[in-house]
Parts: sequence; structure tokens; C-alpha cells
Amino acid sequence: MGENVTFKCLRCGHEFCGVYDTDVERMCPKCRSNSVRRVKDKPAPPAHPPKK
Amino acid sequence: MTEDLRIGVFVCECGHNIAGTVDCEAVRAHASTLPDVVVAQRNRYTCSDPGQQQIKQAIAAHNLNRIVVAACTPRLHEPTFRACLAQAGLNSYLLDMANIREQCAWVHQSDPVGATRKAMDAVTMAVARARHLNAQKEIEMPVARAALVIGGGIAGIQASLDLADAGHQVYLVEKQPSIGGKMAQLDKTFPTMDCSI
Amino acid sequence: MMDAGRHPRIKLLAYSEIVSVSGYVGNFSVRVRKKARYVDESACTACGDCAKVCPIVVPNEFEVGLGSRKAIYIPFPQAVPSAYVIDHANCLGDVPIACGKCRDICEIKCIDFDQQDQIINLDVGAIIVATGLDVYDPSALDEYGYTRHENVVTSLEFERLIDAGGPTGGHLIRPSDRKPPKRIGFIQCVGSRTLSGNGDPSASSGQRLSRGRPYCSNICCMNTVKDSLLLKDHYPDTDISVFYMDIRAFGKGFEDLYRRSKEAGVKYIRGLPGEVVEDPVSGNLLLTVDNTTQGRVEQHELDMVVLSIGLVPSEDQAHIKKLLTLSQTDEGFLLESHPKLKPVDTPTRGVYLAGCAEGPKDIKDSVTQASAAAARAQIVLNSDKLKVEAITACVDREVCTGCGLCAKVCPYSAILADSKTKMIAQVLEAKCAGCGACSAECRFDAITMRHFSDAALTAQIDAALAENPENKIVTFACNWCSYAGADYAGVSRMQYPPNARIIRTMCSGRIDEDFILRAFQLGAPVVLVSGCHYADCHYINANRWTQKRVDRLWDRLERKGIRPERLQLEWISAAEGAKFATVMREAERIRQGVTPEEIELTRRVLAEEG
Repeated sequence: MGENVTFKCLRCGHEFCGVYDTDVERMCPKCRSNSVRRVKDKPAPPAHPPKK
Repeated sequence: MTEDLRIGVFVCECGHNIAGTVDCEAVRAHASTLPDVVVAQRNRYTCSDPGQQQIKQAIAAHNLNRIVVAACTPRLHEPTFRACLAQAGLNSYLLDMANIREQCAWVHQSDPVGATRKAMDAVTMAVARARHLNAQKEIEMPVARAALVIGGGIAGIQASLDLADAGHQVYLVEKQPSIGGKMAQLDKTFPTMDCSI
Repeated sequence: MMDAGRHPRIKLLAYSEIVSVSGYVGNFSVRVRKKARYVDESACTACGDCAKVCPIVVPNEFEVGLGSRKAIYIPFPQAVPSAYVIDHANCLGDVPIACGKCRDICEIKCIDFDQQDQIINLDVGAIIVATGLDVYDPSALDEYGYTRHENVVTSLEFERLIDAGGPTGGHLIRPSDRKPPKRIGFIQCVGSRTLSGNGDPSASSGQRLSRGRPYCSNICCMNTVKDSLLLKDHYPDTDISVFYMDIRAFGKGFEDLYRRSKEAGVKYIRGLPGEVVEDPVSGNLLLTVDNTTQGRVEQHELDMVVLSIGLVPSEDQAHIKKLLTLSQTDEGFLLESHPKLKPVDTPTRGVYLAGCAEGPKDIKDSVTQASAAAARAQIVLNSDKLKVEAITACVDREVCTGCGLCAKVCPYSAILADSKTKMIAQVLEAKCAGCGACSAECRFDAITMRHFSDAALTAQIDAALAENPENKIVTFACNWCSYAGADYAGVSRMQYPPNARIIRTMCSGRIDEDFILRAFQLGAPVVLVSGCHYADCHYINANRWTQKRVDRLWDRLERKGIRPERLQLEWISAAEGAKFATVMREAERIRQGVTPEEIELTRRVLAEEG
């Protein structure tokens, strides 16, 4: 399965978290653009939220 | 490339569809200045018989070996003009189209200047591409003489029967254990008020 | 139905699903899974002995839950093929201690618990998609109380209640007390012509659609007119009210039926009820409606209410759409090649549409369209040979190094290459579909696409940017989706700024990184790459390479100090004219933010690199 990464929309600048999966289309949840780039220098959030 | 390039450009007005927004005469005049263009003409409807006749006559009169048609989308009339070239004895791959209707006149109706500039560029680009086009030979493939129909409702049943009655083998695939679809659930049907099964 | 079942040239594969489709027009290879029926379809005489002894009783889907059936059953008496089937999920099974009663009683021994699913391979030249429709589920419309009031039924349930072959033998009764209803109301446009919730962008598409679809379902008016005439025929003293917003009786003979219905005393009341309330004692229903013809609020007490439900795209359609790389409209129906001139063709050559898969329609229109699709398909089937467009890939044997990258990206396995032996790549022309992913991937420019050569595409880029490049947005669009979407914007007269210079390729996977860098080097402020949505790619998955190349370029541009924002990527379907126009407006906004200094710096940086 894909890892959790940070994406940045190159149309509106919105940054968001999502799963990196090469078989899924990327879309900015704010402006619906597909110009969504994976931000590599940002520390990725944990793949799974810590269990309680 | 050994042969000399001789390009003909045909700018379609499409009645008012293109000419209502784009200055077609300006586009034609612009085309005539482009490299290797030996003739540039304007037609009311290039896809019509007279329009195609004009292309064929120009091919013969000017010994053209590349054709650019600036008109509607190639998704509509590329087959038309390819056939026209073939009838004039040219390989049908020596054609390019500039889309100045769907992607120009119709989407910039309030900006005739911008639309005309865009149409000129579209013709420049098409001529540039035409200079690099080569004759191609299409390969021929055999055809499997059977049809697949997906869904056994009224539409699938009718399509299957028509194809089978015309002599073709048909495979009718239905997900449910019986064909009939939604129609079979209806009691009577309009407008004839008869039963559905 | 019977004719289709016994036609010598129709092979009926019921209880079957399409697993995969490969190939192209004239030469499709299809794999079909014929599910285990556990009954020998050809031997079964449909005597029904098995169902008599089956101990399992479940709701009958055909009767929309109004009747029951056994775990071994025939969907309806006139079913084709006329054979029973075992519902595996509910059957107790073959273990003797559990059951096996049906097998024991079957005289001809046609029940076989060991039957397996079968995979059948078919070679066909043309495909007709007739996946049909589903009906709208009115549960979300709480004001009509479908889930709470027994005597509120859907029009499909009503069909079964009045059908002589239905669970009541055609004697109309209402569900709560099984008494014949004397006062019946029909509510029109249930789930159709509804825009509520559509304005809320945060709502999920499921939420947005649960209250109804925006389109007219086409058949519900006439279905109600028909039902009203049936009622007046069978039960002349029934009091019938139809609540509507418009009656659309547009087809041949339709107006006549509508007039007959009115003459028979059916009341047509212009206004949709705001609420349906149930009297808990009598089970009767109280409707409050704004009668907009009379200009007054009325109350109607009825014994039974029929919700005239609309049609929605079939659930199975998504699977077929993906297998055949078809597109769909915003409304979810399959997209035709052209709404007027090619109404049964699809963007995939050799695939045609019939019936409600293309949009809501009645029986006559479905039959008409099916015949049209059959005729279109015969154009392919009757050809001796089909010409394939000469857009395939050619390898320059002098330049090829045998690295094998091209073979890796080919979605069709149409290139023979081996990175170990360094053999020169060889294109299997019959398999090549012409997407050009290999040509874009080759690092040595050893692959030329016939008719979409590097030289031709580069010449187009150069020509586009020859004058005032700072005003231009170089736009690459794929033939099947985004270029068609741009055409659709035109057909719909959607207006956008005239800065784009559009270059067509067969697939976005054809777009070489060099093309994009060249555009920037020549002074393009913005480059837009556009292609089909992932699910719509006409070359299986060639557009995944588009994303990878754009990803790579974004990194590369950034390393060179060029803002990655200047390279935009969008997936636009053939039906998304509106999206194309929006993308154009956004690209123009981005272009206006690119300074002349920035463009000049880009030119210098890229020129130094050579």
C-alpha cells in the first residue's frame, strides 16, 4: 500500500496530506486541480495514526 | 526530404460559425506568407462538395503535396478531408487540420481580435507540422465475424436479434440468471398498452 | 425474449460477467465468467419440483421484495434460459445432513453441487453495450415516507402489484391491510429534475445525488398515464390523482393516451406534495400540496401513494466503462461520440451503445437505438479487412541501443526488447496502438511515431512560440479526452481567454520531456499538459507515464530555479468542457503572474544546458 505524504497544489498552493499511490489520480481538495506535486523535503506524517 | 514542399491552405468560414468571430480573410492572407505555401484560399464551407472540389482543383493546378485545412475539429472532418486527398491522388496522411472553430471561434466569441490571432497561430502551427508529414501506408487487419452484446434487457435483445438475423454470430452476456432486464418486470407498456414479455 | 433464447446464431451467456477485454476494433478478445448455476441449464425442464422441497424462503428480487422465492428458483415463469438456479448465498448446501433435498427429488438429475465457474474466451469484431439502468431509491426523500409508510410504494412495486403474474395475481391491494385501494395518488418526478444539494461543494457525490438527479428520466410521465388507464380499466371507480410539475407527453401517440387518461376522470394536479403523513389507525395517507394552477394549498386523503421514480445509471456500468475505456457524462450515463451525428458510437472504435446505458429512454427508443447500434456494428462485421490508422511506432535500428525502456512502458506489450542481450527493439505493428509512450520514453530518440513524429511536434511548438511567446500557453491535449473536452467546450460555447496554443497528440503519454523544456526555452510562460482521467486512458494506462514525467520535470525545473507552477497538469474527460474552460482561465491567471525577467532567466538557464 502507498505511504502517507504531503502534497502541494501547483494551481492554488494548498498543501494537504494523502496517500501516495501511482495508480490513483491526484486532485487538490480545494480547487480540484490535478497539478498536485508531492512535497519531498517535508517530513511525512506517520503512515498510521498512533493507536490508543 | 528530396521533393519540394508545395503546401495549400484552405480556410473555412463555416458560414458564420467561424467567420462571425474570426477574420478569415486575414487568416488566409497570413497563411499565404508562410514558408512553402503556394496557395491559400477561403471557402464558405470547405467540407461541402464545392469546398472539396476547390481543394482537388488546387491540388491539380498547383501540384500541391501537403494540405492544411483550417476549419472545425479534426475529430469531425479529418476523415472527410483525408478521403478528399485520396480522391485527388494524394496520400491521405499529407493533411493537417487547424481547429479554428471548436477551439477558437466558438470559445472566444467576444474577442474577435484574440480569436483571429489564435487562428493565425493555429494555421502557422499546422503548416509547420505539414512540412514534416510523410505519406503513410495503413496496415489491414482481419475482422472477427462475431459480436458481443453486454446486457440482456430490451436493448441488448433487440441488438442481438438484428445482428443474428443479419447472419452474424452473437454472444449475449447477461449478469442475471435470465434475460429480460427491467422491462420484464413491467405489467403493460406504453404507448401500445400491451404486455412486456 | 424467447426469440433471442432459441436463435441459432445467438449464444446466450446468462448469469455471466465480463472479466476482461483486450484488443481493438475488429479483433477484441473477451474473457467471460459464466457463474456456477449448480443446475444444468440445458437439461432443466423447469418442472419446479426442486423449489417445492427447498426449505429456504427469501424475498424475491423480481417482485421487488413483494413476494418470496426459494433458494433454488427461476427468476420469473417466462425466464430465458428456462432453467432454475441455486442462490449459493442462501442454499444450505449439499452436505446430506444439512439438505440436498432438491438434488434428491430432481428426476432428470440436472442439479450439480460441484459445478464451477467457467471462463469462456470470445473473439469478437464489435461490442454493443446495453447495460441498462437502475431505478432511483426514494428512501432519502423523507417527506414522502417511503421507508415509514407501508402504503407508499414505488412505480416498479406498483407494476408488480397490478401484474397478473405478480405476487397478488394482478389483484391490486395495498400492503398495510391487503384491501383494494379506492383513492390512489401518483407523485411525479421522484428522484428526477432535482438540483437540491448540488450547490454544496462539500457534499459528497453520494449525498448530492441521494435526493435525486438533475435530469428528466423521460419515461415516468407516460408510465403514470399508462398506470392510470390500467386502473380505470380494471377498477373504473378508483379515484386517481396525479401530482406533477410538468407532464411531458412528447412522443408519438403519447398525447392521445394523456387525453384519454384525463377523459377517464384522472385528476392532474400541478404541484408536488410537500409532505405525506400517515394516519396510524387507518393507514391512509394525507398529502399537503400547493396546487399551483388553483393557487391554493390543498389536502388530499388517499389510500395508497405511488412514487413515480426516475432512472439512474446502472451500477454495473462503471466496470464495463473501465474495461472498454468509455467516458461518461456528468449525469453518469455513457458518453456517445457525438450527441447528434454519432449517437450510438463511442470514443472506442468498434464499441456501440444501446438503451438506457446511454441515457434514460423508453422501450421504443431503446429498440430503435439497439437496431441502430446493430447496424453500426455491421459496418465493422461486414468488412473483409479493417484498415488501422498509420500512427504506429517505428524503431531506428541505427540509433537503438537495446536498453529496453520502450518495452517497459508499452501498455500493449507490442515491443520486443531485452535489456540483457541488448537486442534492437522490434515493434509488433499489429499490436501497437500508437500511444507514443515508448517514443517519449526513449532517451536516444530512436523511436519515431508515424504521423506524430518528434520533428512535426517540435515544429508545432516552435511555430506557436515564434511571435510574442510571453502571451502564449502551450497546451498539449490528447486526442480522445482532453482535446475532445476542448471541442466540447466549443460546442457548448463556453468562453475562455484566447492564449492557449493547442497541440494534439494521440495520448498524453506521447509528450516527451524535451517538448516541454523546449517550450520553456523558447519563452513560454506556462505549459499545460492534459490527458484522459486515469480510468479513461484510451491506451490502458499509458497516461501514468505522463504523471511520472511531469513529476520528474517539476523536480528538475525547481533544481534549475524555474517555478514548477509554470508546468500545469490536468486530466480532462471528453465530457468536461466546463473543466477545460476553467483550466484555461486558471492557466491564464498563472501566466499573468510570470514576469518577463523570469522568462528571460529560464531561457538563459535552459540555453546554457544545451
